[in-house]
Amino acid sequence: MRVPIRMIGIATTFFWIFLIAFFVSAVYSVKDVHFDFGEPQMDVTSDNKVVFSLPVSIANSGFYNIGSFNISTEISDKEGFTITRGSTFVPVIKKNDVVTITHNMTIDLNDLLQQDKNYLFNDTELKIYEAVSMKIADVIPVQASTNFSVPWGASLYNFTLGKVEYAAHNLTHLKVVVLITFENRAFFDLVGNVQIQMYNSTDILVGEGQTNVEAHHNSPYHGYLELYVSIAGMTESGHFEVYFLTPFFNYGPLVIPYG
Amino acid sequence: MADTNNDFKTKVRNFTFKALKATVKGILFYGIYFVLWMFLASISEIVPGFQQMVETFVMVYILLIIIGELTSGTIFQYFFNVAKALFVIGYLIFSLKGGIFGLTFQNVSLMVDLRLFLAIAMLLSLLGLAKSVLQAINYMNEKAEYTRI
Repeated sequence: MRVPIRMIGIATTFFWIFLIAFFVSAVYSVKDVHFDFGEPQMDVTSDNKVVFSLPVSIANSGFYNIGSFNISTEISDKEGFTITRGSTFVPVIKKNDVVTITHNMTIDLNDLLQQDKNYLFNDTELKIYEAVSMKIADVIPVQASTNFSVPWGASLYNFTLGKVEYAAHNLTHLKVVVLITFENRAFFDLVGNVQIQMYNSTDILVGEGQTNVEAHHNSPYHGYLELYVSIAGMTESGHFEVYFLTPFFNYGPLVIPYG
Repeated sequence: MADTNNDFKTKVRNFTFKALKATVKGILFYGIYFVLWMFLASISEIVPGFQQMVETFVMVYILLIIIGELTSGTIFQYFFNVAKALFVIGYLIFSLKGGIFGLTFQNVSLMVDLRLFLAIAMLLSLLGLAKSVLQAINYMNEKAEYTRI
């Protein structure tokens, strides 16, 4: 019986040494894994979606491969509604290897505005959940996650149509000049087209016009829009319908009464 | 009288030898801990209480090694070996919180899944436990045979 007992002892000791050595070296090699997050970039796809790209460089100088590397991001509003989520997965990062990946997230601003137009006109806060997970030495799963908030700046903050000025154009038409003011507090420069349709008190279209707008982020915009309306259809009061066409979003009508 | 004297001397010599062996084993174990700690020291900066947790484990384990060595040649040696194996199992389960180890550092939550490591460690500890039980049975068996002869 002594021999089997001794064999059990030798096997146990061997496996303990192997387990401890493996665990300690795996933990120790984590310090030789370096992450480098590049400058976030923004792009617009052909179908008018905003794509955020975050270049991430992972240098694995440790003793073991890193398996199932995953970065995931979830953006939600204050009520917890998920706006978008993105995930980037790398199956294996070999030892002594440098891998550069681009973590992409797509936001469809049109969808977002369908849900709540306040994103266009009011500042708010977005909640971001970020998680990085990996398997150290392909066997020890590790996950780091964090929650934080980022301010969302409205691209048409405080959008107003100023005082409407009328001038005679010809015998049948008037030239109407409308002052457009807003502040672009969004993270992107706003370049697009604003169309205004003027309706009289009986909801009949009396004239329309459009203008190009260009507002850099964090800057106010003041501009005039001219439209020609028929004198016959004019009433003292009515409403404007405003449409916005930009590479990022299309929105309208925004109804603003006049008179 | 001379026999009693010789018996006492043998006992003292045996005990001194056991104490020496226990001391060497204890120092050796502490040396291994000391070397391994150099690699794991960086964790203690992130995980609060990690050093204390490991030190407590090492202290109790060394104590059990010393007691086990001092009681070698008796049935109590195997009792302490069983206690050592059970202590390892219990301590690993409690300190690693079932294998899912989580902590929050500033605003970042870190989660380490050590279930595989824990399962293997449990298995090896159970093997150690089985070995101690077998040794105890073997000891009793040999003692019975010796008494019969």
